[in-house]
Amino acid sequence: MSGAARVGLTIDGRPVEAAAGASVLKAAEAAGIAIPHFCYHPGLEIEGNCRMCLVEIEGYPKLELSCSTVVREGMIVRTSTDRVRAARKDVLEFLLAEHPLDCPICDKAGECLLQDHYGLHGRYAGRMAEVRERREKKIPIGRGLILDRERCVLCTRCVRFLRQVTRTGELGVFERAVGSELGLAEGRPVDNDYSGNLVDICPVGAITSEDFRFRTRAWFLDRRPSVCPRCARGCAVVVESVTGYPLAAGERRVYRVTAGVNPAVNGHWICDLGREGRREIDEGRLGAVLRKGVREPGLAWPGAVAGIAAAVRSVPAAERPGGVAVVLNARLTSEELALARELFVAGLGLRNVFFAGLKPGRADGLLLTAERMPNGRGVLEAGLSPRPPALEALAAARVLIVFGPYLTEHFEAGALGRALAAVPAKFLVSAHAGPLDRLFDAVLPVTVPAEKAGTYTNIDGLRQGFSRAVEPAPGVVPEGAVLARLARSLGLDIGDADAR
Amino acid sequence: MSGAWTAVKEILRGTGITARHFFVNMGLHTLGLFGVRTKRRGAVTIQYPEVRKPLAPRHRSLHRLRPRGDGRPSCVACMLCVTVCPAECITVEAAEDPDPEVQKAPARFVVDLDRCCFCGFCVEACPVDAIRMDTGEIRLASTERADFARRLDRP
Amino acid sequence: MLVDALIVLAKAVLALAWTLLLALFLTWVERKESAVIQDRVGANRASVMGLRLFGLFQPLADAIKMFFKEDFTPSFAQRALHRLAPALSFFFVSVTVVAVPFGDTVHLFGRAVPLQVVDLSAAVLFALAMLSLGTYGILVSGWASASRFALIGSLRGAAQLISYEAALGLSLVGLVMVFPSLSLARIVEAQGGLLFGFLPRWGVFLQPLGFAVFYIAGMAGTKRVPFDMPEGESEIIGFYTEYGGLKFGLFMFADFLEVIVLAVLSTTLFFGGWQVPWLGGEGFAFPWGGRLALAPWAVSALRVLAFNLKVLFFCWLQVLTRWTYPRFRYDQVMDLGWKVLVPLGVVNILATGLVLAAR
Repeated sequence: MSGAARVGLTIDGRPVEAAAGASVLKAAEAAGIAIPHFCYHPGLEIEGNCRMCLVEIEGYPKLELSCSTVVREGMIVRTSTDRVRAARKDVLEFLLAEHPLDCPICDKAGECLLQDHYGLHGRYAGRMAEVRERREKKIPIGRGLILDRERCVLCTRCVRFLRQVTRTGELGVFERAVGSELGLAEGRPVDNDYSGNLVDICPVGAITSEDFRFRTRAWFLDRRPSVCPRCARGCAVVVESVTGYPLAAGERRVYRVTAGVNPAVNGHWICDLGREGRREIDEGRLGAVLRKGVREPGLAWPGAVAGIAAAVRSVPAAERPGGVAVVLNARLTSEELALARELFVAGLGLRNVFFAGLKPGRADGLLLTAERMPNGRGVLEAGLSPRPPALEALAAARVLIVFGPYLTEHFEAGALGRALAAVPAKFLVSAHAGPLDRLFDAVLPVTVPAEKAGTYTNIDGLRQGFSRAVEPAPGVVPEGAVLARLARSLGLDIGDADAR
Repeated sequence: MSGAWTAVKEILRGTGITARHFFVNMGLHTLGLFGVRTKRRGAVTIQYPEVRKPLAPRHRSLHRLRPRGDGRPSCVACMLCVTVCPAECITVEAAEDPDPEVQKAPARFVVDLDRCCFCGFCVEACPVDAIRMDTGEIRLASTERADFARRLDRP
Repeated sequence: MLVDALIVLAKAVLALAWTLLLALFLTWVERKESAVIQDRVGANRASVMGLRLFGLFQPLADAIKMFFKEDFTPSFAQRALHRLAPALSFFFVSVTVVAVPFGDTVHLFGRAVPLQVVDLSAAVLFALAMLSLGTYGILVSGWASASRFALIGSLRGAAQLISYEAALGLSLVGLVMVFPSLSLARIVEAQGGLLFGFLPRWGVFLQPLGFAVFYIAGMAGTKRVPFDMPEGESEIIGFYTEYGGLKFGLFMFADFLEVIVLAVLSTTLFFGGWQVPWLGGEGFAFPWGGRLALAPWAVSALRVLAFNLKVLFFCWLQVLTRWTYPRFRYDQVMDLGWKVLVPLGVVNILATGLVLAAR
């Protein structure tokens, strides 16, 4: 933005400066003046079909659309005159004339722009005398999305998203006038990796997700930002969870992961893989220390760490560099990686420090990267070399410490089992239960990234700090705590031992 | 000295009042014992388990879900009652309903009577007038904790 | 000789049993009377085989409950004294009844049997002494409990009882001057005549002020509302704070026994004891000239009945009083005792003396 021409204008009597070429709506928002809108979305091209953002501009005979009017020097804009208010009210009345009153069963209720705007700008008494048009209320449109044509206000956000962002164009508005309705172009269902964004951007409850549908209500959710760990992009996400008293009966803690806004990385979108990330926060988690794959009552993580330390100490210091092998992964935060380097490389002088991880997948050219571990760049920044594990080195080790369940990605199960059988003391530190659990002496439960704070460096080298978005279960700690405690137990002074 | 007389007078008057109650009520009790029905009774007591006072029309008692025509509850599982409940005693699990006119129905609707404070907010909050507290069931004691978690979505 | 001893023993057992039965009955009366006064029904659920009898079995149910409650002694209490205290209270108050005549002399199998356990020559003093000794029950309970509540309650109780004993004693001096005897049997006999030809020669007519002082001081002696300083459920709980089960039951029972003892003493000293107005040994001799001859056994039965009815009336009156007045403040209790009742008692003695001297 720097260097771009600035334009001065007046909005509601306040002098405002905006970049040349910006819309009045953007200028007003930057100045903290909210203008109601439905079809406008900062990540999409302007269409100006909802007519909700009308404002009064001096010198213009009629009300103008603030989303599509470009700022000019000396422009005088008023956003809350009687004329504007009356216009908003009328626009809302038209929009709501055919809108069903099924807020009680609508997933969008509580975060619905129609509801918000009606409360702020509508509040009229209904005058609709005609019978309401009935439309289909449950049309599967692919990828677990459900379309409710009655609720749709034809803002075309979804249509524009599919045309401009994913360039797949599955949806379109068909028919004319009162018959206009959203539909699948050529009957081809929505099928792209960004379909979940349609639910986020729909200003009403017309497109809902089967995964979230009817599970809870929007106002029960506690929304906290985090960084998506499912590929190297590092998109901003919002983890929405219900904590405390179970208001809705169900086993879920995290109800959904939605897109956060980060113009430097992902703009307003995240891929469906990132959205699916809600499952790995809740499902298949380890809740207690396992010994040979069986829950060990009475053994908490500090006791298990003491076991690791004892095993490491049993190897004479001279034999440690080759005798102790460690497998790390690129899901560890940069702080944890630094701690691991201090402990394993600098402290114990280990030669065999490996990195295991998910196999690279398909990059889609938009956000999703082929690399599926979030902190690959962080590994390099921490001064570690991302060597893939070597089976002979693992089998030769006298003590093996593995972080994450990723060894199965690298080796065939039988060979891995045989190799591990040769290791006298082996420990797994993992968030999720898996086939490896019973192969190790002890398994320590740790947090997933959404449950911890730290820093990831994404594929473009952008460092992003994030904080805890969900409280971990009792007895489940971040890997950083395990590393720090292990270092203390081994009597190593590694600077900030409390780093998490 | 006049204070002392007033005191004596009032002491006697007090005894007079209680004595009057005693004798009048004893008379009424005796008449009642011999089957004479008097307009006033000797005691205002209602012998509770045998005799019941009619409940006021606006009373609040055990919750129920108003049924639809086909007997299923008319609740749409909007969870507004869950939201408004100050005691957090309502638990609702929603499910898809095969009827496209209904769409959402409770798979489980549980009121924990141990927590419920009978404020009636849920009744006021309900947008479809499904939950009501008009069963007249006010004897909700139980010796089993599980009995207090009442499922309202099934009869 | 042996027969005499047996007769005395029988009378003692009879008197004590009758008193205890009356006290048990009185708990029912207390419940029911208070209920009737307050337009309620009162305890009416206790039943035996479906027979309710207006809740008459309630005292039995209460007793059974008390019996089966845990006999608990706090670890900080002095065990021996803690156990002794309720027994002291109960003993001193129940032993008073032995000195009271509950009828005249009857002739059985040629043997004159006075209807009195023992005719003590100083029975009035004996009764006063026993009532005073009752204080020890309270004091010991408070001390042995080693509890602040109990100790405060017992100290208040001791202070109150000692204060009112002065008034109680003074109120009886006039009576003893009028009926010059300390024997209860003599005093009752002396109340047999007529005043002004029609009025029974009862103590209350000769000593109205004395009776008022005696009755009020006696009420204070029972430590019941409105004189319930040692208890006070809302503030100090009472000297029996650390008692439960049967030991607490004994305290409660002693309370009801005190009510009976006060009723018995009031009857005996001021209301003619077993005397029935105008009833002589051969039958009624009404002041308007009528006569009604009665057999000796009928006269004796009538007299025993009269005694019991009078006692019951005073019990009823005390319950009525207890459910009429709110409790006094501690300083008001002390004021009433020392500044009103004691001076009135002295005035009564002087007035009685003047009248006797003038005759």
